[in-house]
Amino acid sequence: MSRGSAPPRTSSRRLRRSVLALLAMTGMVVIAACGGSSSSSPKPGASKSSNSLTVWVDAARLPVAQAYVKAHPKVHVNIVTFDGDGNGATTMQTKIQLWNRTGGGWPDVVFSEQVNDPVWMAQKPFEFAAPLKGLIPDDLLSKWPAPSTAQCTINGMQYCVQDNLAQVVLWVNKKLMDEFGYAVPKTWQEWAALGQKVAAEHPGYIVGNIGDSFGHWIYLWGNQCPLEQSQGSKLLINSTDEHCTRVAGLLDPMIKNGTVPPLSVFTPDFAQKYGGAKDKVLLMPGPSWYAQALFDQTLHIPAGEITAAPPLQWENETPITTGQVGGGPWIIAKRSGNLTGAADFVIWATTVFSPTGKDARPGYPAYAPLADKWLADLAGNSYFAADPTPALKAAAGQVWSGWTLVTYPDQPVWSNTVVTQLVAGKSLSSLMQPFGDALAQAAQASGYTVARQ
Amino acid sequence: MSPVRAQATRTRSLRAARGLPFVLPYLPFLVVFGILPMIYALYLAFTTDTGDWAGLGNFTRTISDYRFLPAFEHILLYTGVWLGSLIVIVVGLALLLHGRANRVSATFRFLFYIPGALAGASAVLVWLFMLDPSVSPGSFLLHLLGSQLFVESIAPGKLPFVFAMIAFWTGAGGWIVVMYGALNTIPHELEEAARIDGAGPMTVALRLKLPLIRKWIAYMTILAFATGTQLFVEPQLVNQASLGLVPDTWSSNQLAYQMAFRYGDFNAAAAISVDLIAIGLIAAWLIVKRTGLFRTGD
Amino acid sequence: MRLGRGIRFIILTAFAVVFVVPIIWLILAPTKSDEALVTSGPFGFGSLHQVALAWQHLDAFSDHIYRAWIGNSLLYALGATAIVLVTAIPAGYGLALSSFPGRRLVLSLTLVVMIMPAAALVLPIFLELDALHLIGNALSVILPFAFFPFGVYLAYIYYATAIPAELLDAARIDGCDEWSTFRRIALPLAKPVVGLVFFFSFVADWNNFFLPYAVLGDSSQYPIQVGLSNLLSSTPSFNPAVGGGGQQVGIFRPELALATLLAVIPVAIVFLVSQRALVRGLVAGAVKN
Repeated sequence: MSRGSAPPRTSSRRLRRSVLALLAMTGMVVIAACGGSSSSSPKPGASKSSNSLTVWVDAARLPVAQAYVKAHPKVHVNIVTFDGDGNGATTMQTKIQLWNRTGGGWPDVVFSEQVNDPVWMAQKPFEFAAPLKGLIPDDLLSKWPAPSTAQCTINGMQYCVQDNLAQVVLWVNKKLMDEFGYAVPKTWQEWAALGQKVAAEHPGYIVGNIGDSFGHWIYLWGNQCPLEQSQGSKLLINSTDEHCTRVAGLLDPMIKNGTVPPLSVFTPDFAQKYGGAKDKVLLMPGPSWYAQALFDQTLHIPAGEITAAPPLQWENETPITTGQVGGGPWIIAKRSGNLTGAADFVIWATTVFSPTGKDARPGYPAYAPLADKWLADLAGNSYFAADPTPALKAAAGQVWSGWTLVTYPDQPVWSNTVVTQLVAGKSLSSLMQPFGDALAQAAQASGYTVARQ
Repeated sequence: MSPVRAQATRTRSLRAARGLPFVLPYLPFLVVFGILPMIYALYLAFTTDTGDWAGLGNFTRTISDYRFLPAFEHILLYTGVWLGSLIVIVVGLALLLHGRANRVSATFRFLFYIPGALAGASAVLVWLFMLDPSVSPGSFLLHLLGSQLFVESIAPGKLPFVFAMIAFWTGAGGWIVVMYGALNTIPHELEEAARIDGAGPMTVALRLKLPLIRKWIAYMTILAFATGTQLFVEPQLVNQASLGLVPDTWSSNQLAYQMAFRYGDFNAAAAISVDLIAIGLIAAWLIVKRTGLFRTGD
Repeated sequence: MRLGRGIRFIILTAFAVVFVVPIIWLILAPTKSDEALVTSGPFGFGSLHQVALAWQHLDAFSDHIYRAWIGNSLLYALGATAIVLVTAIPAGYGLALSSFPGRRLVLSLTLVVMIMPAAALVLPIFLELDALHLIGNALSVILPFAFFPFGVYLAYIYYATAIPAELLDAARIDGCDEWSTFRRIALPLAKPVVGLVFFFSFVADWNNFFLPYAVLGDSSQYPIQVGLSNLLSSTPSFNPAVGGGGQQVGIFRPELALATLLAVIPVAIVFLVSQRALVRGLVAGAVKN
């Protein structure tokens, strides 16, 4: 095939200039419009009048919003469902950035599944969250457990209330424990000893797992490992603190003997090996919402087997502290045109809304008076082998408050530097140093000044 | 044999400016949703968040980020794997399809294409199961590659290949359709003439058909290179399917996205995007030069 | 020759299997319960009753919002594709068969914009749409979708390689002006590329997640892809942080599989329709050398 010679150029300067002029003209219209945007009126979405509200919720919180609408026929509520920032999504960051840039469109109330969302929402460059002081009465706010309030307090001001608590307890398969004749462990040491025993007597059964992206919240948070601890203007990240290394040393033999596999409970692989008919989960330290979300709906473990025991304790050290996996907060927008209405919504959603039975709230209510009602309902649930509520209730106030929530997500760091290496055969003890290094990098990239000792 | 048609087309048919009116309706869209946003992105790359001139500040700042170099290593490796397999296999399959009875080829094209209809969430679901040896229909393949567990299927060393496979699975079918359409523009007479001259199907495919769809291949290469270096969707969805085991800053484009929306640093994000587009442009320029993509008479 | 054909068929079939196996898995997924999905074989068939159950749960999600999402996607994709067809096909024709000043500029800019990373364009486009007071309006999705440089290039390369200029010259000699040459000769001959542009534009719009995700602020306006991502994060096994809302929401993996499958149907239909345009010999028959 012969190559065509270059096309003859018939270009005339006049025409080229007119094309450019046309391009410029089209562009100028838009630029002119862009320039005018800063002075334009508030966009739809932000509520202007006193009886309209825009709320952003995840699918699990939709029933609350709908119930509020039903109970308040005079208030016009615009409900928007979104992914709740779950699963590492940055939906709220994206949206708030864009709203801030255009100077409008903010909703009045947001529910997030990410417990650390309020931390960045309260600070630059987002500056989205409103301080709750004066919006929600102090006597109501005081009924949230202290660790929960602490997590919503950023630079001395409270910016959110948690919808539910996600305190870690020890989940127990009572049927199997009875069958094997084991006593439920009270301390991490007893738990580890039992792990050795299970490995020898009933290989294939497990007493926990460490492959989830939140594994460090279960094993390290509860054991007071200072991986993110606010110290004045600095953030302490000391992954080789004794509180960290001693847990790692305890876990290593169990990871090796298979009683604490480095697998995620949410993978099909895990469900096939340990769930359903196999029924090989003997014990599992995990958050309160594991109750049905994990054992019933994901692993399909039959009814009448599972119950909860109090969180494990380090030897005889007191006070007992535990970890946390979740705890979604409600946030009121600073730029809301209807702060009173927004506050009313949040108060109603957290302190009033309390259906029972199959419509019951999905997580352990953070507001203590409602928790009692919710627990009473749960106690009668036939799924459990024994009443799990005393353990859950006890753990609610035990979440270690030395763990400061931060603006960056730490789960990916844990997954990438620790979980993948555990699978490859490394020991947890050997990974604590690199884990700390990686956390420090992530913290610095988010603007923190990091202290390592 | 081929110059017959080339000669005919070389004469310019529409004279000069007569083509312009046909392009006009497209121009406002190009300007408003293409060029202006691009200029704004360039502006962001060279300014600070307060709008002051930043020079190369955003570029040096992002290059020194600890995730920058690993991300670029990842995408270069990935692009190599992806581009090579895409061009060879897509052109190969399109040539194999071309010349089969239309109904047979239509069936195959449909089968090749249909994964392309699965985007985002569907792909997350599918790949979570496909990559988990305990439930995957292709578990023997995964075992062969040394994966007994889901986590091993997405071990860091395997990721460029895993992503290339996913991208190929969803993207190849579309390009096969384009190439097939391109091959259809070759007149029957040319092929028959070649056949009468004694050329076998291989010769016809490589000597006659391949050169005639050169522009299409060039176009595909440019876009495939750009989409390769701008890899975003595949690592993002494996990140979701693995609940965070794969970092959300695996590729450069993901890093740019995180910069913009997690840290609110649009200037850094724009700088990374400019790096990426520079790479894409160099590749595009080389390809356009070598293949004469912009020539009218050919 | 016969042996060659056999090999050809085997290669094509082998690749087809690779492409189709995951799809078959997905088609079978809604017939099983969430538990059976993990425990039974990948190609096991559950029951149609499960499909009906899955549909009930899916349809009940957020008061039938799934239907609205599909409707929105149809509106956005068809609306934008209609504009693409009237802008991209003539543009490709003009760019291929004339050399007006600025032609190379338009071609180059189109290409440059095409290889611009999407993450960099979201903010500027959002600011523009806001300036035009289109945020929250269906046009905020349709107009950016209607800019489809890929289609312009498809049309450009098609006209540049497949339509002989002499044919158009002949038309002009017959007294056609530029417009009627295009309409009577070039357009009918472009049937295959119209099919391609229609198809690719529709699919690109249907599958686009990022733009509507950024610009739309109301869940009842979401297109299906944004909706599916919402469903994904409502599925407990994909989003543990949901904190045990699974029972209330009722979306599990089989429901998700069904939702994604139903969302594929329009694309499959458009594919089949547009592929009928991809027939051979349209051009060849028109020119007699």
